[in-house]
Amino acid sequence: MEDLQSRNRSLNKWLPYILVVPSMLYYILFWLRPVLTSLIRSFTGVEGGLTLQNYKLALSDPLFREGFINTAVIAGVSVTIEFVVALMLALLINRKFKGSGVLLFIAMIPMALPPVAVGAIWQTGLTTNGWVNSLLIHLGLITESGKIYFMTAEGWKRLLLIILIDAWQVIPSVMIILLAGLQNFPKEMKEAGYVFGGNAFTVLRKITLPILKPTIVTAVVLRLISAIQIWLIVVMIYGFNRVPTLMERVVYYGDQVSSLPNSFQLASTNSIIVAIIVSSAALIYLKVSRNSESKEV
Amino acid sequence: MPVNRSVKKLIQKTTFLILIATILFFILTPIFFLTSLSFLSSREAYQFPLPILPSLKSEFVAEKSEKGYLISIYEPSTGEYESILDTNKFEKMSTYFRRELSIYTSPEKLKEILSQLDNGDIEKVHFTMRKSLWHNYKTFFKVTGNAKAALIRSIQTALVTILISLTLGGMAGYAFARFSFKGKEQLRFGILFVRMFPAVTIALPMVILLAKYGFYDRPVGLSLVYSVGSIGLTAWITASIFMGIGIELEEAAQVFGANKLQTFFKITLPLAFPGLAASSMYAFIGAWNDTVSALILTQSKPTFAVVVYKALIGSTGKINLTAAGALTMAFPAVVFTLFIRKYINQMWGGVKV
Repeated sequence: MEDLQSRNRSLNKWLPYILVVPSMLYYILFWLRPVLTSLIRSFTGVEGGLTLQNYKLALSDPLFREGFINTAVIAGVSVTIEFVVALMLALLINRKFKGSGVLLFIAMIPMALPPVAVGAIWQTGLTTNGWVNSLLIHLGLITESGKIYFMTAEGWKRLLLIILIDAWQVIPSVMIILLAGLQNFPKEMKEAGYVFGGNAFTVLRKITLPILKPTIVTAVVLRLISAIQIWLIVVMIYGFNRVPTLMERVVYYGDQVSSLPNSFQLASTNSIIVAIIVSSAALIYLKVSRNSESKEV
Repeated sequence: MPVNRSVKKLIQKTTFLILIATILFFILTPIFFLTSLSFLSSREAYQFPLPILPSLKSEFVAEKSEKGYLISIYEPSTGEYESILDTNKFEKMSTYFRRELSIYTSPEKLKEILSQLDNGDIEKVHFTMRKSLWHNYKTFFKVTGNAKAALIRSIQTALVTILISLTLGGMAGYAFARFSFKGKEQLRFGILFVRMFPAVTIALPMVILLAKYGFYDRPVGLSLVYSVGSIGLTAWITASIFMGIGIELEEAAQVFGANKLQTFFKITLPLAFPGLAASSMYAFIGAWNDTVSALILTQSKPTFAVVVYKALIGSTGKINLTAAGALTMAFPAVVFTLFIRKYINQMWGGVKV
């Protein structure tokens, strides 16, 4: 027994490092190295040498500015809508009614769909002769002359359409994370809230939400990270350059016009900007939610 | 008073049911239409309004004309026959039937049917033909040329990604679950930070790196990029799975003389297996669904996601064909997600950022 324990002790000292080192090496080789290369590339001119020109070029592009605003609006509005709706749905499904399992099953389909398939669903749906207009006609809500022209929508309507499509796919996955949190939730706490005279709303605000907070933080951070990187749906529905987003610019330079002498640099520059925005948004959110937590305690 | 309460309950119940029905409507309608669209013939797909359900067969009427034969198709939406062809070339008819109506019929067969008109006894001949429902799926693979090879490449990429991330991520996850060691928290946070970075930031410079090692434009190269994201996720999930398996079992095995390695492979791994399989599905879906890295890291050998994307983005493709491609793409991802749903709670319940 003694012998086994001492053997284990010496093993336990170095074993965790052996287990972790392969992943670390992998990250150094295939994450750190490319990220540094991207960073250096973003500061490299077409003829070599360090320069800020790529950043100047990227930032002065009017489509970049538009893309920045679009991305901020889409991320802000869609994360809010998705969170509120997903929370309501999670609270609903958590009541464990007859058929809630089936509903959960169905709700998982949109989140499982590849973005390309989601793009296909809405691209074929939103064209003037697409299924959305067809459905409205079959339901008798519009006549053939009253067809809605989604694709030529302008300004905020275009963004709203993107936000709704994004929400369609994402709400289920946010809901599932929240639901997982709700199911690990001590029921007695809620009952105690009602016993002490709270109504449904105060119980939600004072008991459910604070306990659910770690899960909420997880869900919102994950959503924020992917919402800032929105591009595929935008491009599949409107094409390049029509509704620019930060990520759309990266793909535009990285894939669409990759033959320009400086397109690679511009793609790298844009991708670094996206990376900075994504990680700082996530870190700020984490920091703010941690701070408010420590204040409460 | 009790009447009042039962009325209130009824209202509550009705509101609840309406809510559930609305949710189902919004989730299922788009999926239903994509599916229906993938089974429509080209002719149906370019009608307005689109039929809700694809037809299974079509009725025709043919008569003699100056050019040869005038063929009309029965239109269920209007209840009338519409002329579609006026020719004496059976080869051309057969092609039209296949392309526009998804009906596979040989020129000989058409000749046989239409020859009834030739001796002048009858004026019109009615006939019905079955539609091939899988026409769009077959055609998508045929016209995009590289779709089949792309599908195989997508599967290869996903499998290699699972292999890398389960091996490396599983090892790290085990370390997180069983040991406390210096730098553990920093590592866990580091993994999160890596995931925050958009895949493109890595994909762009990887073009050069992979080209140097001959992995550019190959499934392995893509797997290397996808694994960066999925190793961390796998480590997180597997850590919570290993934590769920009591350390007592491992200790008991060691008391009976098994060494660490034997304990792991004989006790822990079999117990963790279902959870590990589920977490590997996340790696699968991540690799399967990605478009952006695949766009940048492949040239002549795209993945299936890229093929579907390009078929739609060019908008030269027919929408019913693209729907078939998109559904082919969606099918495995949906099946796997439904398979892992048992583990969702285990995965997300314990996660704290």
